[in-house]
Amino acid sequence: MQIKKILNEEEIEKIKSMIQKNYGTIPEIEKAFLTSDDRIWLTSKDINFSIFDILKRCYRIGIYFGRLKRNDKIKLSMEGAIIVGKNATRNVALVDDENAMKFLRGEDINEYEEMECEKHNFIIVKRGNDTIGVGILRDGYIENLVPKARRINF
Amino acid sequence: MLLKSGAYNNVFKKRLLEIASDAEDIFTVTPKKSIRINTLKAEKEEIVKKLSDYIIEEMPWYEHGLWVRDEISKTIEHHLGYFYIQEAASMLSAIVLSPSKHEFIVDMCAAPGSKTTQMAMMMDGEGVIIANDVNSKRIKALAHNVQRGGAKNVIITNYDARYMPAMEADKILLDAPCTASGKIMYENVQKKWNYNRIRIMSRKQKQLMKTAYRLLRKEGEMVYSTCSLEPEENEEVIDFAIRELGMETLPFKIEGIKMREAITSWREKEFDDSIKNCRRVWPQDNGTEGFFICKLKKF
Repeated sequence: MQIKKILNEEEIEKIKSMIQKNYGTIPEIEKAFLTSDDRIWLTSKDINFSIFDILKRCYRIGIYFGRLKRNDKIKLSMEGAIIVGKNATRNVALVDDENAMKFLRGEDINEYEEMECEKHNFIIVKRGNDTIGVGILRDGYIENLVPKARRINF
Repeated sequence: MLLKSGAYNNVFKKRLLEIASDAEDIFTVTPKKSIRINTLKAEKEEIVKKLSDYIIEEMPWYEHGLWVRDEISKTIEHHLGYFYIQEAASMLSAIVLSPSKHEFIVDMCAAPGSKTTQMAMMMDGEGVIIANDVNSKRIKALAHNVQRGGAKNVIITNYDARYMPAMEADKILLDAPCTASGKIMYENVQKKWNYNRIRIMSRKQKQLMKTAYRLLRKEGEMVYSTCSLEPEENEEVIDFAIRELGMETLPFKIEGIKMREAITSWREKEFDDSIKNCRRVWPQDNGTEGFFICKLKKF
């Protein structure tokens, strides 16, 4: 795993503000870093990055939060969406059980209730209180962004 | 002596009967399905409410453990990481190690990550866990489970645990690779059982114990556990840690589960008397898989 940059407080604040702008909530981020593919990873504040001078065979650090996109947007991972989705107030789509299953199988869905959603923008998809992933709101449907590895097969 | 497949039928039973007179009862046990709730993702009450149709009863020895129906794996809650399907006895290792927030923990043989994510939860996502595994295929499963569990205090490394670089851990979990004879009720384990594997594993476990000692800070504590019932993989390894490395066993108690004392002699071998502090979990006592667990301290 190649760390491109350990984010300082200012950079973390910038990420928080991007999230707030899109979802109306400020997530708790203590420590984060970027990899070369612009992915944001969250770690415990107790992780001291000097340990990687010793740990050369490091496969993964912390959890994948999301990927920086153009126009100050972040494509959230499933866990990123769960962290943000808990208190998100806009760009959220609510679905019922049947459509939640469809969404988690990787299908686009066209039955949902919008909470201040902006078209052609990333939205968090929720079933009740449960965040089930992210999508992009298109004209009359939600484009599915659940990665293949996180889709259900039942 | 290399025994061919199926040898467990005669030799395994005979060996176990030397340790426990009711050992044959193992074959009548079908371990119950169990889950561990993941409070890193949601509150316990909320998860229990969502899963009420699947829950049979709460586990008497662990507040986050539940006995459940089989179909629970096919639920959205499982997919979202609200719980982890984990064998009941295997929850004991982390309970006994009892990691605290801000501690530095090394989980030497971590894949697929049930105990790693359990410890991450117990630490409330704080502190640091180095979750190591040698197997590159299993490490992918570990990474998937750490991500799904939302365990941001985990660093995954890919070393042969015997050759991990020097560090000073507060606590170590060595859930060692083993013959898995505590799962002998399953046919695939029966097919693999042979005496030669026990000797190979025992040798490897002692090497791993040596490394654990090296990675642990002075006064640090560790848990050694296996899902094997073989004395060579359990008491003999602890005896090695006491005699060769100068470690000491620590007593522990968990309410609500029946555990038996470890044995202090095996055939021609006499083990250190403090091995009595180690515990064996027999499948017939609690409806779980078989397990061995020991807490040790470095001085």
